[in-house]
Formats: sequence, structure tokens, C-alpha cells
Amino acid sequence: MTNSVQIRCRGVVKGHAEGEALVADAMLSFWGEVDAVTGKVIAVGHVLEGQSLGGKVLVIRSTKGSSGTPLMLNLAKLEGNAPAALVNVEVDSLAVLGCIVNGIPIITDLEQDPFAAIRTGDRVEVDADLGILRVFALNGDL
Amino acid sequence: MQLTVDQSAILDGAQGPYLSTCMRWLVEWGEAMGARRLVPCSNTHALLPVPNLMARGASPKTIDAYIGGLREACTHRTAPGCYCTVHTSFVTLDGLDVPENDPEQVRLQQELADMSAEAGFIPTFTCAPYLVGNVPLMGEVCAWTESSAVVYANSILGARTTRHGSESAMAASLLGLVPEFGVLFDENRKGTLRVEVSAALKSPTDWGALGYFAGPLAGLGIPVFHGAGRPSQDDAKQLCAALATSGGVTMCHIAGVTPEAPTLAAAFHGVIPEHSVAFTPETLRSTYASLRKRTGDAIDSVILGCPHASIREIAEIAALLKGKHVAAGVRLWVDTASSTKGGADAMGYTRTIEEAGGRILCDTCPTNLRMGARRIVTHGFKQAHYARGMVGAEVIVAATEACIRAAVAGRWMGDE
Repeated sequence: MTNSVQIRCRGVVKGHAEGEALVADAMLSFWGEVDAVTGKVIAVGHVLEGQSLGGKVLVIRSTKGSSGTPLMLNLAKLEGNAPAALVNVEVDSLAVLGCIVNGIPIITDLEQDPFAAIRTGDRVEVDADLGILRVFALNGDL
Repeated sequence: MQLTVDQSAILDGAQGPYLSTCMRWLVEWGEAMGARRLVPCSNTHALLPVPNLMARGASPKTIDAYIGGLREACTHRTAPGCYCTVHTSFVTLDGLDVPENDPEQVRLQQELADMSAEAGFIPTFTCAPYLVGNVPLMGEVCAWTESSAVVYANSILGARTTRHGSESAMAASLLGLVPEFGVLFDENRKGTLRVEVSAALKSPTDWGALGYFAGPLAGLGIPVFHGAGRPSQDDAKQLCAALATSGGVTMCHIAGVTPEAPTLAAAFHGVIPEHSVAFTPETLRSTYASLRKRTGDAIDSVILGCPHASIREIAEIAALLKGKHVAAGVRLWVDTASSTKGGADAMGYTRTIEEAGGRILCDTCPTNLRMGARRIVTHGFKQAHYARGMVGAEVIVAATEACIRAAVAGRWMGDE
């Protein structure tokens, strides 16, 4: 039995993706703070330091920092280590550009606080076309 | 988004598949960001790096795909009347002796430099185009990469550019268009965070500390600094770079100084928010301390010129080094644009720096090179922030004078 909750949201870049959630109420620059080849966060002291982004649904406040973010998403995508989808509270134009170029869905304006509703390790499904996020809880307990 | 007949035709492939892709990037990006149309853009700063260590360990297939895209872009021409410069290349072209600087990467970068020049770009290879002639006018619509330069262009010069990435800046360079959203509109240039500055800012690095502190508080918003006094160009460069490192800032205002903030009220378009955050002498100290965590004081690298050094900074560095010598085992690098180095050569600064054992590097960024360093002293908060993870070094951020003292001593000697 799998319990799931459905959260309405706004699709910024359309598409559909599923993956394990990686959640942090933080900002992240893909250039300089992520190694595109390994998909790992290299920023010293960052709450996600050492975590792999490849195939994950990345739930963060927003991207920040470098204009290299779309380029690094491109390299990560080519290496097979880009996130499957982005869930952002605020939308940085650089995340959007990177998602458009690389076919990665990005959603925002969730009707619930994503940092309360989604936990790292939860399986989530992003439907940016319909504006729906489904959370399948870890161990089934929601 | 409403497109003109000509724009629709390009989207439909009338000028070939690559320009159709460029148009699609701009249209989809604009639609996602709420734009209703494309508007003319007369100034771009494009990003054309070879992957080098941004993609250390990447497969040849990845490198080929990436380089292939840049090659294809550079077979086109920049839009008529559009002033297009180029960001730092991640391989220096002057034979820098680090193991990561491999000849194949240098060859590829040279090929791209030649192709981009042929396409109409001015291959400035700098992160600070505003120091080497690309100085957009107030209100000019631009498409700039380099997060620090975006903040500088909007805030200090009053030009208008959203935060661009390599693909959108390339598209804007070739099509002469950008989607109209964000800070292109007056109402989106209003301050969102009031920062009251009571700390005395005595160096460009102090201004960097102010930016590094305010960036995360501002997030994607627009900080307004009050009480900070009047920055020099170098001060402003450090402030803008730090804001776009710790935060995702597109622009800021300095009340009483920057062109769109003649007063504090003007920076907020009339209504000054009651809430403010304070940047005190204690905040200044703790902000420096956040990028000085280390296990010892011996150093092996002093890296200056992040963002790329101005001629005035190079003159200052030369004056501080005159008659002194960098300690054995320490590399002192000053990064700048090649045209600025041309000036430094003519004025004798290069010789003074080289006689002291230092080196002026052109076109590149040592953080991207990931030079083998264990402990770096730098005057740039941006460099210090990123070097920890990218280079794997401990860092000490300090004003230029203290950096030079450390270079000569071979160890961190403190601020005074």
C-alpha cells in the first residue's frame, strides 16, 4: 500500500518526472557549488554538501549565484547526472533557462510549504503540465 | 508571447535550425518568466568556455557535444549593431604551468576565440567587461552573463539585464533580442531589503563583506544599502560580486550613490520599509571570519583579481610589491583581462610585479582551473567562497594590502 498526497503547484517549465526527493531550505549555484560530472554538491558548509543531485527531484528555495548554472545543468545532463526535476519556492531566471535547454521540469507556487510537505528520500512525481506534485512517503507514513 | 512575423519565421526555421533553436530558447524562457514580447538588445556578454575543469572527468562525448554547440553558434554572425563581448575562458592562453591546463583544451579555446571573433564577438575574455570598454549606458537593454557583472551593469551603470546564461546570451547576441521580463521593467527595480550600514568600509574587500552578508538575506530580491558612503569602482565591483555569490541578486541600490537611488525613498520607489537589517562593525568582523576557517597560517597561494583586476588595482599591487619579493613556495597571481594587462605592461606595473615574483594572468579564472592550492589568501569574497569547494583549499579573505603582506611573508600575518 502506498500513501500519497497530491499538492497543486504551477509548472514553470513543462514536463513530467519522478524521483527521490532531496530537500533543503537553501539556495544553490550549479556552477561552483556542484560538480557537473559527478552531480555532487561540492560547496563547503552547504546543507547539501556531498549529496548527489543526479536523478533527484531537487526541492530548494531557489538557485542563486553564478550565470554558469544553465551551462552546468547542460554538462550534468550530458553526463547523466542532472536532477530529474526542480521544485523551487522562488524562481531564478537561470534555473528556468537551464531547465528549458535541458528538458528538465520545474515547478513553483506549491499550495503547501514544500519543506514541510516533502522529506528527503520521499518518492515524488512532478507533473508540471498539470501543475501537480505527488508525494509518496518514505515507509508509507504520511 | 506575441511574436512579430519576422520573429515567428525565425522560430519556424526561416534562418536555419540553430537560429530557430535560439529563438525557441528566448521564447520559452520569456513565456516561463512572464514576458509578453521580445525587445531589442544592443549589448551582450556571452559565455563561450571550453569545458576544461568545469567538467573534469567528463566523457569525450560530453565534451564533443558541448564544443559542437559552441562551434555551431560561432558559424553565425552577431546581430547588426549589437556590441558583443566574451566572458572569461577557462583555460589561460599564455602557457600557465598547472597540470590542468592541457594543450588540447588550450587549442580548443583558441579555436573558439578565433571563431567567435569571426562571428563578430570581441573576445575580451573577462568577467568584468565594464573595465575593458563594454560600458552600457543607463537604460540600455543588455544580455549579460557573469552574475557579478549583471549586478554591476544594473546597479552601478543603470543598464538593464536579467541574469543570463550561456544559451540566452548567445541567442541574444545572434538575434539582437531578449524577452522582456524582470528588471527590464521599472517596477521590478524597486528595493526589497533595507540594509543599514554602520560599519566603516575601508577597502574593496570590506564592500565585498557587505555584499556577502546581504546576499542570502536578499535572496533573489534587491537590497538597498543606506549609510555605506560612496564606493570606488573597485569597491562596487566587490560588492556586486559578493551579492551574486551568497545570493541570487540581479541588482542593488546604494542610497545617494547609484543612478536609480538618489535617495533612500527613491530606491524603494517612495515607501521606505520599516524593517531593516544592520551591518555593524561586528557583522563586518563575523563576515570575514566566515571565510577564514583554517588549520594553520602558512600559505601557498595569493590570488588577486576576482573579479578581474582594474588597472588601478594592478597599480596598487605593483606599488605594494615594489622592492619586495614573494616568499619561496608562494604563487602570487593577479587575474585580469588581456587589454588591462596591455596597459599594465605599458605602465611598468607588470615588470614590477614580475620582479617581485608575482604573475599577471590573462583571460582566465584560477578557481575554474582548480589550481593545486592548499591555502589561498584572496581579496575577493567570491573567490574565497567558491575556492573552498572547487579547489579544495582553505581560504583567508582579506584586503589587498594584507594579501600582499601574506605573500611576502609566506604566511597569514593578520589584517594590520
